Amino acid sequence: MRPAAYRNGEVRLDGEVYLDYQSAKPVDPRVVEAMMPYFTERFGNPAALHTVGDRATQALEESRAAVAGFIRAQPEEIVFTSGATESNNLALIGHAHRNKRVGDHVVISEVEHISLHNVGKYLEKEDFRVTKVPPDQYGRINPQKLRSRITDETILVSVGWASNEIGTVQPIQEIAEMLNGTGVALHVDAVAAEGLLPIDVAEVPVNLLTLSSNDVYGPQGLGALYIRKGTRLAAVTMGGGQERGLRSGTENLPAIVGMAKAAEIAAEEQAAEAARLAALRDRLVSEVLSTIPDCHLNGHPEERLPNNAHFRFAGIEGESLLLSMKDEGVWVSTGSACSSKTLEPSHTLISCGLLHEEAHGSLEFTFGRFSKEDDIDRVMEVLPAAVARLRHMSPLYKEA
Amino acid sequence: MKSTQYSEKTLDHFRNPRNVGTIEGEDVAVGRVGNPVCGDLMEMYVRIKDERIEDIKFQTFGCGSAVATSSMITELVIGKTLDEALEVTRGDVADALDGLPPVKMHCSNLAADALHDAIKNWRSGTQLEPLGEEEIASAGVGCGARNVTVVEGVDEYEGKGLYKKVEDVSELADKRVLVLDKGIPSAKLALSLTEVTPRVIFLTELDALGLPDEVSTEVKRSDVKMLFQSRLLAVRGEGEVEKVLILDLDDDDEYELFVDAVVLLER
Repeated sequence: MRPAAYRNGEVRLDGEVYLDYQSAKPVDPRVVEAMMPYFTERFGNPAALHTVGDRATQALEESRAAVAGFIRAQPEEIVFTSGATESNNLALIGHAHRNKRVGDHVVISEVEHISLHNVGKYLEKEDFRVTKVPPDQYGRINPQKLRSRITDETILVSVGWASNEIGTVQPIQEIAEMLNGTGVALHVDAVAAEGLLPIDVAEVPVNLLTLSSNDVYGPQGLGALYIRKGTRLAAVTMGGGQERGLRSGTENLPAIVGMAKAAEIAAEEQAAEAARLAALRDRLVSEVLSTIPDCHLNGHPEERLPNNAHFRFAGIEGESLLLSMKDEGVWVSTGSACSSKTLEPSHTLISCGLLHEEAHGSLEFTFGRFSKEDDIDRVMEVLPAAVARLRHMSPLYKEA
Repeated sequence: MKSTQYSEKTLDHFRNPRNVGTIEGEDVAVGRVGNPVCGDLMEMYVRIKDERIEDIKFQTFGCGSAVATSSMITELVIGKTLDEALEVTRGDVADALDGLPPVKMHCSNLAADALHDAIKNWRSGTQLEPLGEEEIASAGVGCGARNVTVVEGVDEYEGKGLYKKVEDVSELADKRVLVLDKGIPSAKLALSLTEVTPRVIFLTELDALGLPDEVSTEVKRSDVKMLFQSRLLAVRGEGEVEKVLILDLDDDDEYELFVDAVVLLER
């Protein structure tokens, strides 16, 4: 593997094709440039009372305003965290603890990221009751079905803006309006959607919203939680009382400056970028479905992220296909059990109604800022042959 | 070690698997282990002459190490006597591949198991039919007639996603529909449902379609997803059908499947 190269402001891997942007994104060179001074000459702890500290406070608050502007929130509604997982922990556990006397019931959609379901399991150990809402076959949550799960004891509902895995976009506006004013708070993990779809909390009345820095091409290890004014949380991390007491610990200033810059770029480029990525995705989807027999698109045919194409191929196993693609220098992702630590298939695919063997045969392509047409040319050079080779040796696939 | 961090030797056997294919003949023993539900299924075809393995081929559905271990074991046992082949263990296969990630040791077990199964079948005179070579059972009689089991939740969910008759298929538009094998009418209903929804699953306790040729061919060509050797145990959901519990009769394993509707035609 050759190293990634910054060239003409782009991050491309020589001779290799990276189509796994959902798992990690390169940091945009413009973001790296904005961060650099904050490691050295502009270092500082915002808690310090001298000029170096004041300068750090200024950078911190300007960054907070930039991230708030990205989702049309107020700066004081943004808390910086170490990433989406911590934001989800603070949102769910913090809200549950704070509202324990109001009720003990939390509703979570089945198609959430595994890290969110594990927070739900923790709440169950703490004697909260957690109910899951299954999606339809395209991975969409029906707001009416969601409503039927809500009881007098329900304090919080958590539904992602979109699935990072199958790309399905949820009817968040409808869900938010349905819950608004009912006393049931709505948490939305927006990580998969940020930078790809407009996120506007002035239009969509959510209470809590999780953001990640890397998902808008900022550095890893940083995230944010939007907390609507009036929504109250208990702290989960104790310490020096930073971030209004909700997230103690000295702020990671270079990363915060990086996330702010990344959010500014994303806000500016989102519309054009989404259209460009959707065109790439549509080309891949149409070529794969027309070239390879017995193959299906997972997720919603229209209501899906512009950068996501998720397929399943009858008769083959996803890890084998991933390895075959890797040998050809094409890096993708799979929902197959054999690529996971637990050997369990993706719960998202299972909740869409797939059989285990169908979930095992899935492959996910996610495009990003530095993806190009020739990436698809390369996929179409290698994917049909890889599928045919594995099917040839599969007892589950009888060639026509 | 990451699940996909394989030794060079394992990767070589994955990329260039030896002895892929099937063999036929009176002198061929066939072994099969695994379950596609778990993500792996292996078949070994062994040509035996004078208690010795003269030729061996395999077919595998599985991850990288499943392919590599199948390939490796064929190399390890070709030319060996059946007794010698029975002594080849999963550890031998893993060692020959310069080790496997711990989480993948299960896969190398299967390659040895499939071989041992073939030898066992040979010695007991058991004939294993290749998958997909379905015997057409008596025309028009589905499994419903063969085995009547009580499905938990049938009365509770009737009218809430459980249908005993379907007058207008558009009622089920865009839903995930599970149709139970109740003979020709149920198969024809499954076919007509594919016009209104992309997800139609036909569940039968048989290991092949027990239907007349023309219906069976039509079903095979359609988008109906077949679930053979399966029994519906229970219908579940909060207030309406959301999941079913299915028993895989082949390996006695239960699992849940998310659906929106279950059709259990009354005879």
